[in-house]
Amino acid sequence: RIMPVRWSRYNPSYLEPEVKKESYQKPLEELTEEERQQRELKAVRPIKAAPATLSSSVFSDPMISKFTNMMMKSGNKVLARSLMSQTLEAIKRKQLEKYHRAPENEKETIECNPYVIFHQALKNCQPIIGLSNITKGGKTYQVPVPLTDNRKRFLAMKWLITECRDHKHRRTMMPEKLSQELLLAFNNEGPVIKRKHVLHKMAEANRAYAHFRWW
Amino acid sequence: AKHTEQHEGRLYNIPLEEVKAVFPHGLPQRFQQQIQTFNEARVMVRKPALELLAYLRGSNFTHPAVRYVIYGERGTGKTMTLCHVVHYCSRQGWLVLHVPDAHLWVKNCKELLQSSYNKDRLDQPLQASVWLKNFKTSNERFLQEIKTQKKYMWGKRESTEEGRPLGEVVEQGLARVRSASDAVGVVLREVKQQSHRGSFRLLVAVDGVNALWGRTTLRKEDKSPVSPEELTLVHNLRKMVRNNWSGGAIVTTLSQTGSLFKPSSAYTPQELLGKEGFDALDPFVPIPVPNYSPREFESCYGYYLERKWLQHEKAHTEDGKAELQFLSGSNPRQLDRLAGPL
Repeated sequence: RIMPVRWSRYNPSYLEPEVKKESYQKPLEELTEEERQQRELKAVRPIKAAPATLSSSVFSDPMISKFTNMMMKSGNKVLARSLMSQTLEAIKRKQLEKYHRAPENEKETIECNPYVIFHQALKNCQPIIGLSNITKGGKTYQVPVPLTDNRKRFLAMKWLITECRDHKHRRTMMPEKLSQELLLAFNNEGPVIKRKHVLHKMAEANRAYAHFRWW
Repeated sequence: AKHTEQHEGRLYNIPLEEVKAVFPHGLPQRFQQQIQTFNEARVMVRKPALELLAYLRGSNFTHPAVRYVIYGERGTGKTMTLCHVVHYCSRQGWLVLHVPDAHLWVKNCKELLQSSYNKDRLDQPLQASVWLKNFKTSNERFLQEIKTQKKYMWGKRESTEEGRPLGEVVEQGLARVRSASDAVGVVLREVKQQSHRGSFRLLVAVDGVNALWGRTTLRKEDKSPVSPEELTLVHNLRKMVRNNWSGGAIVTTLSQTGSLFKPSSAYTPQELLGKEGFDALDPFVPIPVPNYSPREFESCYGYYLERKWLQHEKAHTEDGKAELQFLSGSNPRQLDRLAGPL
């Protein structure tokens, strides 16, 4: 039985684990004073257990792991990760086929890297301003409110996943649906971008209530 | 490529028309996707394949057919070596009997008919007709040249006379799906008898040969399990694999992935064939297929880079390469799966 350690309360003297290979390969001369103190502290103090999602591989990406966690259902990370890798492969295949069929002058404009496409699509889907319910004098108003970066990323990923799960044909596979959505979002088309624009329009329409916000 | 290579680790190109003609049904799924994405079929030349080709070139065709069994761990390229050999032989002009996966004949069959030819046996019309169609596309010219030597009756009214080309038998099997497995049996028997004379060489290439001697997942209508001898297709194939004919070679592959009721760590001929199979195949030449050597790994990595399959920025660095080698353990299948999302 695996006992959960990470979410238990650690003594404040425990330090976070350091995963990056490069930080251990620096010779002593290049370190500044603070870094040398950090090193000595690490030699003495106990260190927290590293979470299973943290990896020292060069190929790991925090956004991708966040997305896989959001796609995961009932703790089935194996399935979520395989779906994610199949999605990336599907995107790569589609783009490569387009690339090989395109004439010479268009070849440079076609982006084949699935990671670049993923990040750009997420950026295109992030809303700039959000709405929140504020109750004043018995009535609830939808007030336009600025969003933090984390909230923006979360909303973009959530919209992508719900779009794929709900509005597509039942028999299509998730990697296919996701790759289609990501490619559309990359080109600023598709239903997720539309949802973002609808939100922006609502916020613009409710501009009058903006002064209800007190933060 | 003219196949006189002593270059190990290089990749050679097969023109796409030949691929469609020679391999209507033989290539693994991932490889077919790869052909579609890159618009070319590139097969790596490896030591086991070179060994096999050397043996085939030097073999004496008046002796009984020699049996070669390709074995190895999961995902090391056994099916690809078989396809390499099949392509070589078809280039040389041999008649190729390629069975893509014998496990498909032994599980997941929707229709089982009682055979009209022999009361005990069971027919499989679907699989037989699919195989006949693919056989037709791969060996067009032989179907005109080979003539039948006996009269065959299909049911009460149709019969094939002596001296008719084999193409007619194949047409008959495709048209009358009920007697398709009998048509397959006829084709195999004719081809075996006529390879003695030496007008053509015969290559029997069977992938997943351990299916012929294991158990099946099929059941008869009274829910009793079917053993492989009761299937006409399997029976005929076993007769082909026995080496009582001359003028060709038999190349087979063991496969654990499709095998039924065998543990996943089994890869040697002894374990996978079982006692029956091992005795039946007994004097054979075993050909082990190992994982990629460092040179082969580098050539594969270079090919992916050149074809822009590895798109991740870090994949181009030394660290990335070392990591790929470590994670895949130089296993071709793992490397392929890892390089997919990267």
